[in-house]
Amino acid sequence: MRAVLGALVVLALSSCSGTLSRGFLPEGATTESDRVTRLWNGSWITALTVGALVWGLIIWCIVRYRQRRDDPELPEQLRYNLPMEILYTVVPLLMVGVLFFYTARDEAALTDTSKTPQNVVNVVGKRWAWDFNYVSANTFETSTQVNTAGAEVGKLPTMYLPVNRRTEFVLTARDVIHSFWVPAFLQKMDMIPGRVNKFQVVPDRIGTFIGKCAELCGAYHSEMLFQVKVVSLEDFDARMADLRAKGQDGQLDNTLNPSPLAPGESQKIPTVAGSAS
Amino acid sequence: MTTMYREADWVAPARPTLGRTAVKWATTTDHKVIGNLYFITSFFWFMVGGLMALLIRAELFSPGIQVVSDKEQYNQLFTMHGTIMLLLFATPLFAGFANALMPLQIGAPDVAFPRLNMFAYWLYLFGGLIAAAGFLTPQGAAGFGWFAYSPLSSVAYSPGLGADLWIFGLAMGGFGTILGAVNFITTIICMRAPGMTMFRMPLFTWTILITSVLVLMAFPVLAAALLVLGADRQLGAHVFDAQNGGAILWQHLFWFFGHPEVYIIALPFFGIISEILPVFSRKPLFGYKGLVFATIALAALSVTVWAHHMYVTGQVLLPFFAFMTMLIAVPTGVKFFNWIGTMWRGQLTFETPMLWAIGFLVTFLFGGLTGIILSSPALDFHLSDSYFVVAHFHYVVFGTVVFAMFAGFYFWWPKFTGRMLDERLGKIHFWMLFFGFHTTFLIQHWLGVEGMPRRYADYLAGEGFTLENRISTVGAFLLGASTLPFLYNVWKTWRTAPLVSVDDPWGYGASLEWATSCPPPRHNFVTIPRIRSERPAFDLHHPEVAAMDSPTADKGVLDQLLGEPDIGHDGIGSSRGGRGGGNAHSGGRG
Repeated sequence: MRAVLGALVVLALSSCSGTLSRGFLPEGATTESDRVTRLWNGSWITALTVGALVWGLIIWCIVRYRQRRDDPELPEQLRYNLPMEILYTVVPLLMVGVLFFYTARDEAALTDTSKTPQNVVNVVGKRWAWDFNYVSANTFETSTQVNTAGAEVGKLPTMYLPVNRRTEFVLTARDVIHSFWVPAFLQKMDMIPGRVNKFQVVPDRIGTFIGKCAELCGAYHSEMLFQVKVVSLEDFDARMADLRAKGQDGQLDNTLNPSPLAPGESQKIPTVAGSAS
Repeated sequence: MTTMYREADWVAPARPTLGRTAVKWATTTDHKVIGNLYFITSFFWFMVGGLMALLIRAELFSPGIQVVSDKEQYNQLFTMHGTIMLLLFATPLFAGFANALMPLQIGAPDVAFPRLNMFAYWLYLFGGLIAAAGFLTPQGAAGFGWFAYSPLSSVAYSPGLGADLWIFGLAMGGFGTILGAVNFITTIICMRAPGMTMFRMPLFTWTILITSVLVLMAFPVLAAALLVLGADRQLGAHVFDAQNGGAILWQHLFWFFGHPEVYIIALPFFGIISEILPVFSRKPLFGYKGLVFATIALAALSVTVWAHHMYVTGQVLLPFFAFMTMLIAVPTGVKFFNWIGTMWRGQLTFETPMLWAIGFLVTFLFGGLTGIILSSPALDFHLSDSYFVVAHFHYVVFGTVVFAMFAGFYFWWPKFTGRMLDERLGKIHFWMLFFGFHTTFLIQHWLGVEGMPRRYADYLAGEGFTLENRISTVGAFLLGASTLPFLYNVWKTWRTAPLVSVDDPWGYGASLEWATSCPPPRHNFVTIPRIRSERPAFDLHHPEVAAMDSPTADKGVLDQLLGEPDIGHDGIGSSRGGRGGGNAHSGGRG
């Protein structure tokens, strides 16, 4: 009863405002982020229900079973109750099974790279900035670290993405481990020297979103910032043409790294022609 | 002659001089004194690490850099904060409690290898001093985070001497932990008193046994990884080079140590809670065997889940590690319900140890819930390396180690020192720490969800993180200040509190340490009571309760396996079983 009540309260509250209905997650900017938000909300409602039950039992014990003046010398010295213990072993097991089912489904979808992308960007992490190789457009943008004093979103090094087009991020690192995180995508993935990582998103909202390095990479880790501008396809093509016009043809590829990729990894990086080299 | 003495001279024996005490302690092999050395040293590191945390929180109070001189210094602060709290505070604190209590609880005169015991302490002391000595070198201490990811920890990216001191100091201290674990296991297996069967051991002793087994699985891997990293740096080996896959290899090795480490510093403290709740509920532990099996299950699972720290590397089998991680919720849940079952229908009183134990329950529960959220890779992709993770592991680790440490201190202080700590100061201490802790860390969940990464020395003014960081910082200073009433309490009671004259000042102590004096004599016991259940001291002090014991007629297979500890046909409940009361001696083995 207490649990049901708790869930109802959470549900009632969550209809109050947009932030709460997302469980305080940033507003998603990709089609995949809706999937994450649904799993997040479902998991939290369940977790808080269980939490309310257990906190409730603890508080009940504190209030109801505090020692009173008319208590007998000692309470019944109960040592175990087997059916009860089996119950609270089996029920959590079933709950975990449910969470695992939805997790496995969603995590497989989030890491799926089997669909053919319409746009490929090889993002390369380096201390303490980013190189964006627009593979499909055969151009690139490079950046340097951000002086955080006075910096603001909108004036950071920019990666452009076309809206509603499936984009594949091919993630590599030049020196140490970095991690590619755009909070509005509700997803991150590490960039590991010697390795190639990938994931795909379909940005579905035009706007500017901050991006960060999420894995400690040295002294100026907190200055390794960038922004994603999701723009219309026409704007995107115009930006790519601008970059090429500045002379930024080709790629700042991973042969520039101080240490080479591990054997077999370079085949995972798509080339301009669209096939693996 | 008697007129020549003033009264004070013969009422209280003179305190030994400081120098005499120092020599006595430095040359001791008494497990109780070694336990005190571990307590003092680890609490010293707790305060050092805590001061570093305050510097970190002060820096994050506002956007920009105000407190540290540069961002590398900030990295060194959180690196050493993590290192100190996990490896120089929490892990040796386990050794401290194990030393101070475990031989008492099993009725042994000392540990199996007393000199090895002291050697392990020296390894820890000097290893810790070496690891932290980096602050005295020109380039400062290690700054690559406490998990020292390769290649950031390579000589190319972390050239300072502080990094080498960190690596070799921790390896040295790690050997101390391994030797301590060997000692504890041998003691528990070989030195239990007659009648102290495995299923009559106090739950704290069980957790020490299982934790020590975990140490033997995890710490040699850490030692190997650290020495190989040292070889890479000093001898030009290439084991962790990126082109050889070294970046991921290090993560596997480190987390194969690192995850069991979390349980090494959690299980003994669960054990402390399991000792305290029954005493202040005036009931036996509910589901004793269930708790033992849950502890074993936690330890077993903890060595199968290391890669949940690596979900976002894109290099691990997500469904396997997700499922194993989620399974941890099951034995943890069993523990919670058994603790609640212990309080259920009891007669609860709220002396300071009980307050801390309940503080642990409500705090750790939330850490467990966020742990289930993080176990799902689909959610962890967003949360990994954010402040949500920082908040989660402080709820788990601080909630366990610090709350249970203070619970244990207030509970066993008379056993350690012969004096009770002051209740009133203890309650001030608790409430300051409780509110300080939750103010500091609850808000950090929101920070992480909204996109603040961990290990950032700075954030942008326009990101909307300022207010939340300020709340957190204010909480941190309240949390830090809560140590002051505790220190005052220790000093005041050391100076003025009367000596405890009874074996069990709490009145309802269950395990064997409450059947000897406060503090115990050099070899712990003058006499050992008959051990016929898992609560020998309680049976000794409350013989009338045996008649009230819940009946155990017709035990089935499941009851034999999962039911109450050994109080069956030859034990304390025997008179109810119709076998007569004349078999009191059959419970003992010798």
